[in-house]
Parts: sequence; structure tokens; C-alpha cells
Amino acid sequence: MSCTPLEEIPKVYEGLKAAFRSGKTKSVAFRKAQLSQLLYLLDDNVGRFQQALHADLGRPFKEAQLLEINGTLLQLQGAHDNVEAWASPQRAPFSLLWYPMSPITRKEPKGVVLIIGPFNYPVYLILCPLAAAIAAGNTVLLKPSELSMATATLLTELIPQYLDPDVVRVVNGAIPETTKILELPFDHILYTGNGRVGRVVSTAAAQHLTPVTLELGGKCPCVIDPKCDLKTAAKRIMWGKLANGGQICLCPDYVIVPAHFQDAVVEALVAAYKELHPVDPRESGEVTRMVNKRHAERIKKLVDTTRGTIVIGGEVDTETLYAAPTIVRDVGPKDSLMSEELFGPVLPIVPVSDVDEAIAFIGERDHPLCLYIFSNDAAFKTKVIDNTLSGTVAINDTLLQIGAPTPFGGVGASGHGGYQSGKYAFETFTHMRPVTDSPNWLDSALMGARYTPYDESSFRQLNAVLHARLPPRNAASLGYFGCMAAEISCSLNWYRRFWSNRPNGSA
Amino acid sequence: MHGDLRTAFKSGKTRSLAFRKEQLLQLCYLLEDNHERFAQAFRIDLGRPSEESELVELTGTLTELKDAYDNVEKWASPEKAPFSWLWFAMSPRTRKEPKGTVLIIGPFNYPVYLIFCPLAAAIAAGNTVLLKPSELCEATALLITELLPQYLDPEIVSVVNGGVHETTKVLELPFDHILYTGNGHVGRIICAAAAKHLTPVTLEVRPDLYTRDTGKTPCVIDPECDMKTAAKRLMWGKLLNGGQVCLSPDYVLVPATSQDAFISALKAAYYELHPVNPRKSGLMARMVNTRHTMRVKRLLDDSRATIVIGGEVDIEACYVAPTILRDVARDDAFMSEEIFGPILPVIPVKDVDEAIAFINEGDRPLSIYIFSSNASFKAKVIDNTQSGTVLINDTITQILVHGLPFGGIGPSGHGYTTGKYAFDQFTHLRAVADSPNWSVSHLSPTATRRPDVPRVNPWTGLTPHCCLRGTHRTWCVTYS
Repeated sequence: MSCTPLEEIPKVYEGLKAAFRSGKTKSVAFRKAQLSQLLYLLDDNVGRFQQALHADLGRPFKEAQLLEINGTLLQLQGAHDNVEAWASPQRAPFSLLWYPMSPITRKEPKGVVLIIGPFNYPVYLILCPLAAAIAAGNTVLLKPSELSMATATLLTELIPQYLDPDVVRVVNGAIPETTKILELPFDHILYTGNGRVGRVVSTAAAQHLTPVTLELGGKCPCVIDPKCDLKTAAKRIMWGKLANGGQICLCPDYVIVPAHFQDAVVEALVAAYKELHPVDPRESGEVTRMVNKRHAERIKKLVDTTRGTIVIGGEVDTETLYAAPTIVRDVGPKDSLMSEELFGPVLPIVPVSDVDEAIAFIGERDHPLCLYIFSNDAAFKTKVIDNTLSGTVAINDTLLQIGAPTPFGGVGASGHGGYQSGKYAFETFTHMRPVTDSPNWLDSALMGARYTPYDESSFRQLNAVLHARLPPRNAASLGYFGCMAAEISCSLNWYRRFWSNRPNGSA
Repeated sequence: MHGDLRTAFKSGKTRSLAFRKEQLLQLCYLLEDNHERFAQAFRIDLGRPSEESELVELTGTLTELKDAYDNVEKWASPEKAPFSWLWFAMSPRTRKEPKGTVLIIGPFNYPVYLIFCPLAAAIAAGNTVLLKPSELCEATALLITELLPQYLDPEIVSVVNGGVHETTKVLELPFDHILYTGNGHVGRIICAAAAKHLTPVTLEVRPDLYTRDTGKTPCVIDPECDMKTAAKRLMWGKLLNGGQVCLSPDYVLVPATSQDAFISALKAAYYELHPVNPRKSGLMARMVNTRHTMRVKRLLDDSRATIVIGGEVDIEACYVAPTILRDVARDDAFMSEEIFGPILPVIPVKDVDEAIAFINEGDRPLSIYIFSSNASFKAKVIDNTQSGTVLINDTITQILVHGLPFGGIGPSGHGYTTGKYAFDQFTHLRAVADSPNWSVSHLSPTATRRPDVPRVNPWTGLTPHCCLRGTHRTWCVTYS
């Protein structure tokens, strides 16, 4: 894969800016056509994408199809089908005071946006925001991850074939190229990756006052209720853990469980693992390998220095980049495995005394992107959700919530600035531009009182109309009828003030 | 202080909607009970006439606070996701969660509105708040510092006062959201500080000399408009708060052939609004301090435009006379930065196309004002420009309109700061999904097909094709 020459990068940006200014992305029909083409780009080349993902990550073909490719197609289709509805202007809710100004909100593109993709889901996490940005009418500079080279090369080849090259361009490279890109003034930047680079991106964006959306990671905990359906929970946790070799921002990072229940959980997880992988994944190739040597060495170090007990796995081959699915029990809060997001197929189990300790444990750490709860007890679920904060919550399953029509995004260290998926992603790349139109006659009907020199009585009347009517101070203690009486008295006072000849506020 | 606010947040006391409502009502009463004192503080800080303070700042703020009070249950209640066959079994819904401890830094020009409105939104969203009012409005800052702990729970709202030194210290701390209103130069410093803690930021900024941003709010005049009303509303907007409103009309673009007529209308409007010299009547706010007065004086001295009325500046009294300038060139001193003062440059252009090109050469402004009754004129200007907001046939009032997202774009800022949109800024949308056991089957590869990519429109039976056509390689969609 060849890097884009540094001197080319500003020219690419200028081209995208000129295309935006030409107004060609304004047409919703044009955007819809581009979104169709994006769908075909993926649909026509599924096999090639599967191969690229396999080359980059060793990802099994079926997993790639099921999760990444189908998931991406669903999102792209959503954007294609809904672009007209999302882009149409919205009338403000009716208000007697303001309706004469016909207030309406237009959905306008921000301009030229930058999307920086990660290595782990190099198709989903670049094409889904791309679809949202196109649907919103922006021109886009894509920077796929250099760590997933085959996919980046494929995207670089296919995008100009399917999409208008004035409107979407791909730039490839590593740190020097990304630094060059970040010197340019974009109208929005969406970055998916880790917190360290997230800070670099935010700092660069600050120079241009560019709004930034960060999709970062975190350690996603799984809180187990001893009364849950352990067999299903264990299967879903292991499935989620081993998807993409544990290299998904949403992967369950660690399990937190009451100490007396740890044995049962370990047993269920081991059984689930054997059910999912009756053949050693090293032979079957059914678990994605680590993306590169650096990450394989990172995981090896974490596993080698753990003070927990390895139940299964523990082997990491830094040559073949293979990390064995590993379960570690009796992991303490200061263990190596709790020091950073694992992003690998290693599952630590942290025993605690009870759910309160679990909640405190989670609360001491950065807000994760997802909190997983395995329980069928409504009170248990409510307790955990109400006393924690996370980007999202998924109960009794892992990973799938990203596809649901709900806003998907982080909070705190797991990210901010917008949400993925559906309409929320569209809004991330949209500026809501309100338009109001003030008829002349408003000045004859009270609004003329705003002009100097102030005419006392009409000024008072205008102020009274605009002045909010407050409920009684102790509304809570008055009860329903008390409040009604207070409201009536308030309204009478208001009318009196409106028609009064005395200065405002004293009737 | 910051630690205490975090502890208070973790205690969970702001979770209760009843508690938030009570605090919001208290905030309303803080303002209602003390509006005389606030009007006096504005007179001291800005020389603003009390009627103007009453109508725009106090009444305007109370409306926003009451709006938050009335709607906090609705805004904070979880939302079910729209129905989808694929996902309904997981009962997907979105909870509205407070982000935590937020920082609100206020500006000097509307020191109550631009701090209390975000405060109300932050409280409604369930956060604890650190407020930093502008040090340039000392009387107002002191009043806020005195009154807040009397009305609101001091555990959930704290006030910190100071200048650059104190603000720098505050910015070293990790907040869960920062809302800043002010100038672009400081906006950049805040964003850079926030980046270290990965803190999201909402900015309402105006361009600054240091940053070379040029997003000045233009007024585009259609020569066929009702010039009398246009001029009156324009002058009213210009002179409000002495021109120190982020939404002040900054300059006027008018066809050269209509410049004379419009200048006459502006003059007439000015004398109608101020039959007595504002210096005597006190009906116009003065500049906030000598630094800003000197800044405006410098622009006047460097300008090559013709002064129609005004032009006097008294640095000691921080007074700048309402001034109209004509035949202003595009590279005039007044076009180099946002004026933020009671001076109105009128720039003659050839036609509306030149006006649009002029606006697009500068950075995107917070607002564009269009004075016209012609629908296609309005549409042309709106469709071919970008701005935070648009207001037709009036100035300033769009911020008061209920239910509209008010925010900038590009150098004028990002994020929205009114009504529900402000509430959303301080809220994290936390999606929750609950997967039943039986849904295992929908995951099996045989049950999951690749989605059908639409190739044939079922209504028309036609297939869309996209291709590049013509010498200019334009995209065309054809059907067959």
C-alpha cells in the first residue's frame, strides 16, 4: 500500500472543499445515488473484502460476513432509505408566541469532514460514518488504518470506481501523513481508536475550533448475577470475547462475579468455549489473530505478568500473531490484566463480595463503552444501571447492541461528540440551521415596544407577555388542588400586571 | 470545590427529577426576586438601560429557565427506539444520563442570560456545575456569587471567580463537559485544555483579532424590501447592548444603487430610536471597559470609510457614539474583526451574487440577516451560504424563539445552547438493550441473509444506474 505523498494532501483537501462549495452535495437525490453506489461497492465485492479481512486479521470468512459485512450493509441501507426523511427541514413545535415567525430548522452539511478509521473493524467503522456523512451532504476525506493494509488498499481501489471522486477521497499513510492531515481545517472530525491518539486529534482540532467525535474504547465489564441463566450467559460472553480475537471496542473485557460463584462461572465459560471451539482455533483458524507483532507482544506481556490463575490458554505466539483464547481467574484490581483495555482473546475473572462491590469497582474506573449485565432480575439490572455510567448497556448478550436503532457512543474516556448508527450519525455530521421570518405587523402588535425611547405602558405589556409565569415556591407541598389554586391566582396576577398602569412587578 | 461537586454528583442526589425541578424553580425565583439588583448590576457593568435589561436579559433568561422547569420530566424520560423487526425483541431504549460535573464559563456581554440558561440545562440534565462568570462584569459576578448559595443547593452549584490565572487553574481539572461562550482565541485554549482530558466542549464564540477568523454577521438588503422597517429593526439590533451581542448585525451589504436610500432610512431610524443623544439619555449601553473602547477607536482611526453620523469615542467614559459608515471597502479596518460595538459599516456591492460571494469569502457567521419580502431572494441567499442561524426581516430575536437549536458553525462555534438542545449537550444518551434467550436463532448464518441491496424500485420496476457523463464528468442517475 502506498502512502499518499505529503504535498498531495492539502490538494486533496482543497479539491473536497471546492466540490462542497460547488453545491453538488446539496441535492438529496445526488446523496441517495452516492449511497446506492456505496451499497453496491460492498455488495459487489463481498468476497474481496472477506479476503482482505482475512489477510489483515486472519478473520474467518463467515464471521466477517455475519458481523462486519452484513452489519455494514444494514447501516448503509438505513442511510440510503432514510436520507430524505433525515435531511428534510423540521418545523419548530407550535408556540402561540412565536408561530408568526414561521420558525423552521434546516439540516445543513457541515462541509469537509475527516473520518479516521481503526484497524479492527476497518470496513464497518469507516463505511458507516462515511454513509452518514454523505447522507448529511458533506464531502469526505477518509483515512483508513495503515495497520489493516489489505482493506485500506481495497478501499482505495474501489472508492473512486463507485463514488464521485470529487466528493470522497482516500488518503493513506501513518503518523506523518495523519499529522499533515490534522493541520488542515476540517468542519468535523470523527476518530475511532484509542484515547492517546484521541487526545492528539482533539488537540489538533482545537486549533481550528473543529468539532470532534471520538469513538474510543475502555474496559467493558460483565456483571454476573448468580441467579442468571449461566449457560446462555457464558456462551454469549465467550462468543463476544472471541469475536475478532477480542479486538472490538465492545468486546466484554472482564467478568466481575461474586466470589462464591466464581467456580460455577469458570466452569460454564470453559464449557462454552469448548462448545464454540471443539477444535483448537490454532488449527481451525476460527479465531482472528492479533493484528500485528506489537499488539501480540503487548498481550503476551499482560498474560505473562498476571498474578491470576490461568484456567485455559495462556499461549501467545508473537511470530504467527496467534493469541490463544485464555481465561484467568482470581484476578485482583491491580493485576496487569486490569491495567489497560485488553483488546485480545483473554478473559479475566474478578471475584468480588457482592453487587455493591462490583458497582464500586466499575465506578472507580473510567466509564466504559459498554456495560454488560447478565441477569433476569429486574431489581438487579436496575441497581447496576442506575449506579453506573457507560456509553451503552447490553443485558444478557454482547456486541449486538451496536446494530439497534439507538444512539451508540461513549462517555468520558470512552468517547464523546456524537453517536454512531442511523439518524444519530447523520445528526453528528449535520448543522441544524434555524430560520425565522419576522413579519412587519409584529411591531404593531406589541413587539414595537422593544424600541427606544421606551413607552412605559406598551413596554410593560410586552414584558408581561414574554414574562414567564412561575408556579408557587413550594409547589411540592401544596398538592394537586393547592397547585391549581396557585396557578389561577398566578394567572389573575398576570392579567392584572398586563393591564396595570403601575410599573412592572408591582400590581 | 471541584472535588466536592464530583462527590455530590456521585452521591446521586441530582438523579431525582423532583430535586432538579426544585432547584430550577429556585433559580427562577433567584432571578424574579432580584431583578432590580441585577438591572442595577448591569447598569454598573455595562451602562445598560434598565428597560433593555428587563426585557431582553431578565425576561429572556426567565423564559428559558421556566422552559427547563416545565420540561425536565419530558426531556429526561427514557425513549423507546423506533420499532424494527430485527431489534424489537431486545427492547432497545435510550436513557438520558447526566454526564457528571460540568464547567460553564460565561461572557461579559450577557452575563446572566449566557450563564443561567446553560446552568438551567445542566441542572435539568442532572449534573453538578462549576460556574465561572466573566471577571469583566464584576458587579454581576459578585451578585451571582452572593445569591446562588442562598437559593440553590451549594453542593451542586459552585461559583469560581477570577481572571486568566484562575481560569487556567480551573481548566487543568477534568470536567465531563465544558460550555464556553466568548471569543475564538480563548475558545481554542479551552478546546486544547479539554483535549487532554477528552472532555467534550460546546462553544459559542465570536471571531477574534488574534485568530484572524472573520465570521462577521452580515445583513443582506433587498432593494425592494420595506426599508423603513428594515432600517429600524437593524438599528435596534445594532445598538442593543451597545452592539455587544454575539448576534449583533455587524455590517450591511446593499446594492450600490440603493446605498443612498438605505443610509437615509438608517439615519431616520436612528433618530426615531434616539431623538435625544444616547450620551445624555443613557438609553444605550456603553462599552464594557477601556480596552474594548480603545479597540473600537483604533478601528475608527484606521478606517477609510465615510462617517455618516457619529464617530465620537470617549475612552474615559467607555462611550462610543452610534456610528454609521458608508462606502466601506472590503479591506477596510472594520472588516478585519468582529466590531462588537455600536458602529454600522455599509458596504455597497453590485448585486446579491456579489453579496453572497462576499459572505462566503469570510468565515461562517453565527447569523445572517436578510431583509426582503421576495421568496426567491431569501432562498437564494440561504441556499448559497452557511451560517449558525438565519433571521429574515429582523435582528437578534431568533435566540428567543422556542424550540429552535441555537448554535454556531465553524469559527462561530459548535453545539447548541437553547432549550432541549442545551439539555442534550449536557446529557449522555445511554442505549440499553435486553436480549432474551430465544434470540440465539437469529444469529445463525443460515438464518441471516445478506440484506437485499435495492436494485429495482418495486413501484416503478426501474433500476437506478449511476454513471459519470459528459465532458465535465458529472454524476447522473438514469433509470431503465
